[in-house]
Amino acid sequence: MARITGGVATSHVPLLGVAVDQGKTQDAYFKPIFDGYEWTRRWEAEQKPDVVILVYNDHASAFDMKLIPTFAIGCAERFAPADEGWGRRPVPDVVGHPDLAWHLAQSLILDDFDMTIINEMDVDHGLTVPLSMMFGTPAAWPVRVVPLAVNVVTYPVPSGNRCWLLGEAIRRGVGSFPADLNVQVWGTGGMSHQLQGPRAGLINAAWDNRFLDGMVGDSDALRRIPHIEYLRESGSEGIELVMWLIMRGALGRATRSLHRHYHVPCSNTAIGHLVLAPLE
Amino acid sequence: MTTPQTDAHPHIQQYLADFDDIPGTRIYTAARARQGFHLNQFAMSLMKPENRARWKENEAAYLAEWPITEEQKQAVLARDYNRLLDLGGNIYFLAKIFSTDGLSFVQAVSTMTGMTVEQYQAMMKAGGRSPEGMRSIREKR
Repeated sequence: MARITGGVATSHVPLLGVAVDQGKTQDAYFKPIFDGYEWTRRWEAEQKPDVVILVYNDHASAFDMKLIPTFAIGCAERFAPADEGWGRRPVPDVVGHPDLAWHLAQSLILDDFDMTIINEMDVDHGLTVPLSMMFGTPAAWPVRVVPLAVNVVTYPVPSGNRCWLLGEAIRRGVGSFPADLNVQVWGTGGMSHQLQGPRAGLINAAWDNRFLDGMVGDSDALRRIPHIEYLRESGSEGIELVMWLIMRGALGRATRSLHRHYHVPCSNTAIGHLVLAPLE
Repeated sequence: MTTPQTDAHPHIQQYLADFDDIPGTRIYTAARARQGFHLNQFAMSLMKPENRARWKENEAAYLAEWPITEEQKQAVLARDYNRLLDLGGNIYFLAKIFSTDGLSFVQAVSTMTGMTVEQYQAMMKAGGRSPEGMRSIREKR
């Protein structure tokens, strides 16, 4: 049977992709950020997951205003890096796992999650930057990926509780997949940032660190944070943190922290990164 | 399994009204998404190199092809991003405009704050904008 062996949370700031693509990860500005991922790179090399279910949001790349799926799952054989307006990132295509993805799509729908199914899609920095942070610049990504796109742009976005419940349903879906697969779930985006309006540039390190604390252990308090609290405390784009709760829900009743990293700033954003193992 | 009681079903009117209580922030609500549909789709069109070339050649002529309001057109031409947010623009779509101008997120975002880009970058390096006093207009916190 397939099993979820770990969870990774990380910011997915596009500037990190630029730093990787232009060989600037050791520059003074970026080094403290990338140093915080060294532990995880070694850990991933040891863990050798077969598949990552990668929770992210599209930033007006694959989806425009014509279609706004709340939860969408990528079932294609492969996904090309999107041209976000300045050319495609020079990173490998992302290879999917259609068997697991279709199994999950079916399981989730029967488990009351009405997923949108994606058979063709380019993936933007929201998905490729986390891969670069964890795996560097390989000729091919060492893992297959099931993209899980969440609307965190047009309101209402899904509640934290709904995201947590989706994570729990993903855990059940993975558990009923008949092949022996080592599966990780990654939740991406955040932490505090605001990219718009006179309040742009807001960072709330104290709130972010309480959120990091809440991801660890057996508390489920984070699922009850209302949208308005994310917006007031962590900035308008800090709402991306609801996507971390899909990962947290997928890890089961309790977690332990294997690695934690926090750094301000990267561009307009607070970088947060957490590696969790399920306790059960 | 029991489902915990959460904010999953707040009253939509209260949910939306709270957004207007956040200083200096425009949440991309359904109302803004409706108002800005064509504006955002125009911005999205700049993802294609051939469209970017035509846009750069004559911005006004390119805008004339889109069913957007005169106010929206003037705000685009002026690169008035706060105004564009008020007129239904969303920052991820507006990013296509400033990216075509060769601006980074930091450069474009700083224009909305009344700071120079240098001041804005210095603020970010010093830990970003504090949330103190910026959480709620009503509650002054």
